[in-house]
Amino acid sequence: MLRKYTEKFLKMDRRLIFALLTILMFIPLIKPLGLPNKAVGVSCQQVYDFIENLKPGGFILISLDYDPSTRPELHPQAKAVIRHAFRKDLRVAVMTFLPGSTGLIEEIFATVPKEYNKKEEIDYVVLPYQAGFVAVMTQLGSDMYSIYDKDKNGNPTKKMPVMKGITNYDDMSAVMCITGTALLDQWVLYAGDKFHVPMLGGVTAVSQPGYGPYLQKGQLKGLIGGMKGAADYEGLIGKLGKGTTGIDVLNLGHLLVLFLIITSNIILFFMKRF
Amino acid sequence: MLESLFAFVNKIDVASSVWVSSSMGMMLGGWLAAGLTIFMFSFLYKDNPFFKIAEHLYLGAGMGWLFQVSFFSVWMPKIWEPIKSGEDYLVLIPALLGLSLIAQFVPKISWVSRYGFTFVMGYGAGLSIPAELSTNFLAQISGTIVPLFSLGEPCLTGAALWGAFNSFLIFFGLICVLFYFFFSLEHKGAVKKVSNIGIYFLMLYFGAVFGNTVMGRFSLLYGRFDDLYKYSGSNYSYASIIIFFALVTFFVGSHFVDKKKKLKAK
Amino acid sequence: MKLIKRTIPLAMVFIIGITMFLSYYIPHEASQTHYVERMNEWYNIIVAFAFLLGLLSLFFTHYGKIKKKVDGWGYSIFVFIGFLAMVIPAFVSGGDLMIGANLTVLGWAYKSIFNTLQATMFSVLAFYIVSTAFRSFRIKSPQAFILFVAAALLILGKVPVGDLIWTTLLGWTGIEISGIVEWIMSVPAVAARRGILIGVSIGAIIISMKIIFGIERQYMGRD
Repeated sequence: MLRKYTEKFLKMDRRLIFALLTILMFIPLIKPLGLPNKAVGVSCQQVYDFIENLKPGGFILISLDYDPSTRPELHPQAKAVIRHAFRKDLRVAVMTFLPGSTGLIEEIFATVPKEYNKKEEIDYVVLPYQAGFVAVMTQLGSDMYSIYDKDKNGNPTKKMPVMKGITNYDDMSAVMCITGTALLDQWVLYAGDKFHVPMLGGVTAVSQPGYGPYLQKGQLKGLIGGMKGAADYEGLIGKLGKGTTGIDVLNLGHLLVLFLIITSNIILFFMKRF
Repeated sequence: MLESLFAFVNKIDVASSVWVSSSMGMMLGGWLAAGLTIFMFSFLYKDNPFFKIAEHLYLGAGMGWLFQVSFFSVWMPKIWEPIKSGEDYLVLIPALLGLSLIAQFVPKISWVSRYGFTFVMGYGAGLSIPAELSTNFLAQISGTIVPLFSLGEPCLTGAALWGAFNSFLIFFGLICVLFYFFFSLEHKGAVKKVSNIGIYFLMLYFGAVFGNTVMGRFSLLYGRFDDLYKYSGSNYSYASIIIFFALVTFFVGSHFVDKKKKLKAK
Repeated sequence: MKLIKRTIPLAMVFIIGITMFLSYYIPHEASQTHYVERMNEWYNIIVAFAFLLGLLSLFFTHYGKIKKKVDGWGYSIFVFIGFLAMVIPAFVSGGDLMIGANLTVLGWAYKSIFNTLQATMFSVLAFYIVSTAFRSFRIKSPQAFILFVAAALLILGKVPVGDLIWTTLLGWTGIEISGIVEWIMSVPAVAARRGILIGVSIGAIIISMKIIFGIERQYMGRD
């Protein structure tokens, strides 16, 4: 009898699991659990410390290479980092190799600069999409204006106040790539290691474990990973956003996965023996 | 003639921008977004026409977006403008090489596309050899062979010993993993034992990847649920809720129609 | 004809490959500025045409379906509708997503259509990972058990509720779950990933050399 029920349980319609997950994700969305996100990841803290220690007026190049498919994880990361850079009065240049991210970049720069009273062309510049990432990364090592002679609005970049004294990586305080692709690897390969520019990264949770070797060797100075990293960074800069609310929503879903793995294995274990 | 066309388009641009940014435009956007999201999710119940519509729209919209970004960010400023201004005619060479790729679709002249491909392949291959060698090969070896203790610092403290242990573990783990991937030697005896330890290191890595993947995928789902929740508000006229129940009604209705059809067929 | 069809392309890949390789070790102006810079600009332009292969292939396939009226041909119309829904607004707004604080019709289409569809398409995977975890995650060997332990620790350690559960049950040990997660990611995972990286880099170098020397020519298609 019991065996029959357990077999049924193991073969249950997967749509029931889908429904359960939906409910468990919606509950904290409607009524947040409000559990504090206490432990900040080491590599995320490294990114924060690196930017925090830069002198005002320093130049940071941020490559935002994510599109809507990874937006929930990476958009909060990008917003938090740009807020931090503006708060530290750093000059910011943003670029992308992903066509889908151009809209998301516009979304950020429609609101975030106003919070810190930052002006386009003076405090920041948004560079247009380029397709050939290897070419651009290599070119930024000698003269960036041969590729980025104009910003996304078609205005010449060379004479902008934000670009004063900037020709190539040597003049930059750091380069950061926030991406849902393998582009951070390429940045380390073609920019960080070759031109010795400090590299920072922001990646999805899925690819975060893959960057351990670069962090350990110092090829990456810091890394923000997934929604947890976004929540950590928002906490560090003291401006909570979608990363913090997101990590709260994930709580019950994570428990569900663990519960399902453990119960199915326990049931199978006993079914084999009895 | 062309100028008046541009002026007309500009007028449409401004007028449409005002409209889509109005509360009506935003609400319509909300209904569209909520509808497409729910259509996509409806596949989780079963394959249906609404999902197929959304799926095909996605294919087209993705390509459309890529096309417009390439057109306005690369083709116009990097090819058309330098030629138009007489600044640089040499950009015609890569433009032609790029266009040559399309020859793939015409079997008789498909060889023309080789010119574009060979440029891309030669460029990529030439650059990747030294970069891979220094970043992913030599730097990784030098990152593994590190001093266990730092000079001038006490080495019998807990932290120093723990650091030394971890450095050794990375070294040991790497050797074991490399043995696992080394197929020129038969995996038996000591080699098998070492490569088996390598598997444990790999399992720890893959476990970490799986754990993080769960978080990554749930984060994406949170993003969509967050939007659906937003569109279920009164300022969007309860778009998500209405569309959801309309779809449920459709599924219930089609279930009964199918049942009837089956009975008739019997 | 063989010269134009095969020899010149192969010579091109060899010359470009070798010169780009050598440029890495020649920090002279002639190499870095005159040659590499020009190559970079050209490569950037060529790659911007590559997506046309996908675009045309998609169009040919769905046009064929509509023309032959195969089963479900009506859906293929939506491919073209989706395409036009992005391209027409783009030409109206000159590729801009915003005018001042207002969205353009392109910005609106991006937000409501492209952003929605792409984000939802990928988020569906979350449901399948849960169902797979239930049906396929089987702890049948010591290796699978280790994989499970690492996964469980990461799943718990990344969310506040996991931290809470750990502190309640195992707080007395003085070990924090975040510490264990950090250790897994920075020690055993580094060893494993590094092994994979070294292997992949050797593979990439060999493939690149085969391409430069014309041994690997699959990308050239058939004669």
